[in-house]
Amino acid sequence: MRSLATLVVGLLLLLLQSTVMEFAPVHLVTPSLGLLMVVYVGMAPLKWTPSSAALVGFCMGYLFDLVSGAPRGVHAFVFLAMALTARAVAWRLAVRGLVLKAATAFVASLVAAFLIVVVRAQISPETGYGGLRQAPLEGLLTAALGPPVLWLLARLDGRLDPALLRVGLARRRARALGQGMPQR
Amino acid sequence: MFPTGHRQKVREVVIVAAAFVVSLFLLRQSARSPEYLSPLDRGILTLVSPVQSAFATLARSLGRFAGRYVDLVHVRAENEGLRIENGRLRSELLQAKRDAAESVRYQHLLGLRDAVTAETLVARVIAIDVSPYFRVARIQLDRGEGLVQRGMPVITSEGVVGRINRTSGETSDILLAVDPRSAIDVVLPRTGGRGILKGKPGENGYRCAIEYLMQGEQARDGDVVATSGLGGFPRDLPVGRVSKLVKNSAGLTQDIEVTPDVDFGRLSEVLVVVAPPPSADPEAGKKPLQSSHGLTVYR
Repeated sequence: MRSLATLVVGLLLLLLQSTVMEFAPVHLVTPSLGLLMVVYVGMAPLKWTPSSAALVGFCMGYLFDLVSGAPRGVHAFVFLAMALTARAVAWRLAVRGLVLKAATAFVASLVAAFLIVVVRAQISPETGYGGLRQAPLEGLLTAALGPPVLWLLARLDGRLDPALLRVGLARRRARALGQGMPQR
Repeated sequence: MFPTGHRQKVREVVIVAAAFVVSLFLLRQSARSPEYLSPLDRGILTLVSPVQSAFATLARSLGRFAGRYVDLVHVRAENEGLRIENGRLRSELLQAKRDAAESVRYQHLLGLRDAVTAETLVARVIAIDVSPYFRVARIQLDRGEGLVQRGMPVITSEGVVGRINRTSGETSDILLAVDPRSAIDVVLPRTGGRGILKGKPGENGYRCAIEYLMQGEQARDGDVVATSGLGGFPRDLPVGRVSKLVKNSAGLTQDIEVTPDVDFGRLSEVLVVVAPPPSADPEAGKKPLQSSHGLTVYR
């Protein structure tokens, strides 16, 4: 349920990303909103198991491949790797505060760009390893949007937390039975 | 039987490994047949495309609204007394200009459609360059679903846009001429020299390069580049202008950087050439197929 809701939110972010060009003054680079979702899932190891983080990463990448017209599998592979990398990093680094969140989004965007270019070169050798010059600008845009998007995702994820949902359901049942329930 | 904790760990590892295996399988499939879309892909695209189209329409409307708002703020700063009247007139003028520009664009498109003897379909661009590492645009056809096939040329009144890369229902992906995977046969009308136009990887701007042009052809800065008529594109369509020359002293060829005439960032409507022009080079219509709609199409 939570993974599905996360994917729907992720898909909306991807669709937003696909139309953000309409507003952008420089029509070349867009912030990687889908990647932020993957980073969020990876950086919340206490809420997401490795398999669910990996599945969300894979599905987000797969959807991104379809939405963006990129060869299938490129973003699926990269986002999957990013989700697991973010998870590995999250055990050693507590990402708190605006600056650290923005920095994390920036670094994640750079790493993802590098991986995308490498994977792209493997499946279409004629494209070479070019394209990384755009990565810093893309990273900056992603970093600028990182803190608000990560905050929003944390809020949504908090509402969809199975434990909280159970508490909410129990409270609603108790209220329906007229028994009431002490506030947490 | 494994203890629960161990079993859980095994389950986690299996799922993660399966995800990696599936993604590697997808990559292998993409390398072999980039145009292939599975029924699942088509299903997802069928669900997503209308939402994507609605997002694009909403984004354009919001963009117009924001533009009007910015204009109004600007006028207020200039003259408070005339703000309301001036703002209204300006926004009306802006709207009229937009309408006129749109009308001109449509006229150009219609003019091009009349001028190009090939059979074409009009399509609306609903997304472009979602990933900066793949120069791809997504279009939606109003009619003619099923006629569009991989490899078909896409053009506008400004010039060459690219080729259809893959299709699903009424939406199709265009591999833009600025993508390194794209290859279009072009000619320099001034010298008659021919070469292959390819996108330049790693460029912040939209740039292409002509490869395999003989040194003897002596291209110059500012030279017009046009389609040769081979590969399905109508002959003499504008492609761009030579902006930089890189001579290869060791070989016989020279690499030529081309700035495209088409502003890819502002694409809104395009024409898909679904049937080659009758007078085109024989190679253009090499493999004609008779479609169910009575139009001749090719792969």
